[in-house]
Amino acid sequence: MSTPLNETIDFKAYIECDNSPFILFDDSGKIVYLNNSAEILLGYVEKKTLYELCIQHAPKSYGFKTITLSLQFDSLHFYAVTVGYRDDEHICIRLYHKPRIGNPCNASKPHSLVLTDINILLETSITWFQLENRNKLSLLVDQDIPPFYLDQNLLSKLFRKVLHAFRSSDSIDIALTYLAGEFVIINGKKEAIIQLQIKANGRYYDEDNTIESLANEVNVSVSFQEKNITLHIPCLKSKP
Amino acid sequence: MKRFLTNSPQVRQIAKGLKLSRPLLVSSIVIGEPHTGKKTLVYDLFPQIPTVSGTEKDKLLHLLDEEETLIITSFEAVNYFDRLDFSNKRIIAVADGRVNMKEIDKLFAFIYTMPPLRERAEDIELLSRLFVKEAKERLMLEGTFDIDYSKIDLSQNVKSLRSSIYRQALYTDFSKEQIEGFLYNYFLRCCDDDYRYKRLLALFERPLLEAGLKRFGSQLQLAKALDINRNTLRKKIHEHAVE
Repeated sequence: MSTPLNETIDFKAYIECDNSPFILFDDSGKIVYLNNSAEILLGYVEKKTLYELCIQHAPKSYGFKTITLSLQFDSLHFYAVTVGYRDDEHICIRLYHKPRIGNPCNASKPHSLVLTDINILLETSITWFQLENRNKLSLLVDQDIPPFYLDQNLLSKLFRKVLHAFRSSDSIDIALTYLAGEFVIINGKKEAIIQLQIKANGRYYDEDNTIESLANEVNVSVSFQEKNITLHIPCLKSKP
Repeated sequence: MKRFLTNSPQVRQIAKGLKLSRPLLVSSIVIGEPHTGKKTLVYDLFPQIPTVSGTEKDKLLHLLDEEETLIITSFEAVNYFDRLDFSNKRIIAVADGRVNMKEIDKLFAFIYTMPPLRERAEDIELLSRLFVKEAKERLMLEGTFDIDYSKIDLSQNVKSLRSSIYRQALYTDFSKEQIEGFLYNYFLRCCDDDYRYKRLLALFERPLLEAGLKRFGSQLQLAKALDINRNTLRKKIHEHAVE
């Protein structure tokens, strides 16, 4: 007689690598378990918000319920959640990513994409920016970002516009990081994402529309907050 | 080829930005008053690159098709922006004075503004010393002289600075005969209305009194040196409004 499946197989490893964030809370809202994707999610949203979502959408009795709803936390978009509980002590939530689809690159200009070390682009932009703003800024750069294909001229313009929004700011923090585990789909291919985030004690908003427009031209998604701007840049390994 | 020299932190930052952009296919422009060293800087950082003026529309458009890297001078003359496509190109442009900033902003990845010389005290000193050396070599002048910074002309930046340094250098080297020669030429050319003895005498007396007071320190000492009465001296100082 075969052993029941759930008594012998450790499913945790499968949940751990699932692209959908999964969190198990106890009855006080404390996190008991979360997978890798959920760790990333908690960089964008408070655990309290997620716990409240659980309570709000929990089924009336023991069991699981999936509902469609549109959620956005910074640049992360979800189209559904599953909430479930099997006892009074624990409740879980799983969120379903709306896949990021980038606009296909402009077919008439694939030649404008050049293999580039983005650090050089950023350094040049910051050098230009420091002519406008002499305040000290802190720079965190992930040295493991490989060269990838991008339109150097357009992306430099975008960086210039974004930095210009901070022309009078101080306490400026710039971080260029590789977003592990996240991706965008471009022309049917999954591409990794590089994040550039600039934070300060305040910023101008006068060119947010221009920034958004420029970002669209280079397949970059931009997220505006009161005191920061975040760019998600697709890390194209080959020309489309 | 002229080397670009600067001690100005701001200009060094511009040079750094342009240097960093060398391996990139981006478009940069340096804007500023005439004679601030924009072209010298660009030529120094990007040697042996094809160059075209913004006034030569057909040539510019042709070179844009042919070349990956291009220097465009006199960009202020460009008014055909819709014909320009800088994708996948390394463009370094230079513009004097007023430009259409809206179009520049759309076209260029990096926009640098070269400050005028009057805002670059470190470069005034650096360039003045350089021009003194230059003047002595080119004009074959002997001896040394101290630059009188109150008399330098920065109205046209490097161009007028050089001119005023050369003039100062010359002034320190004139012999008696040369001064007499200048005066002779002046007297030959000046208009009849000015040909009054007292007026012409002022050409000599005024600088004599000014230099004398600086040299001797007081009216008393100057009067002694000139061997004239102190009252006479005082009268002349007042007459020529010497301070």
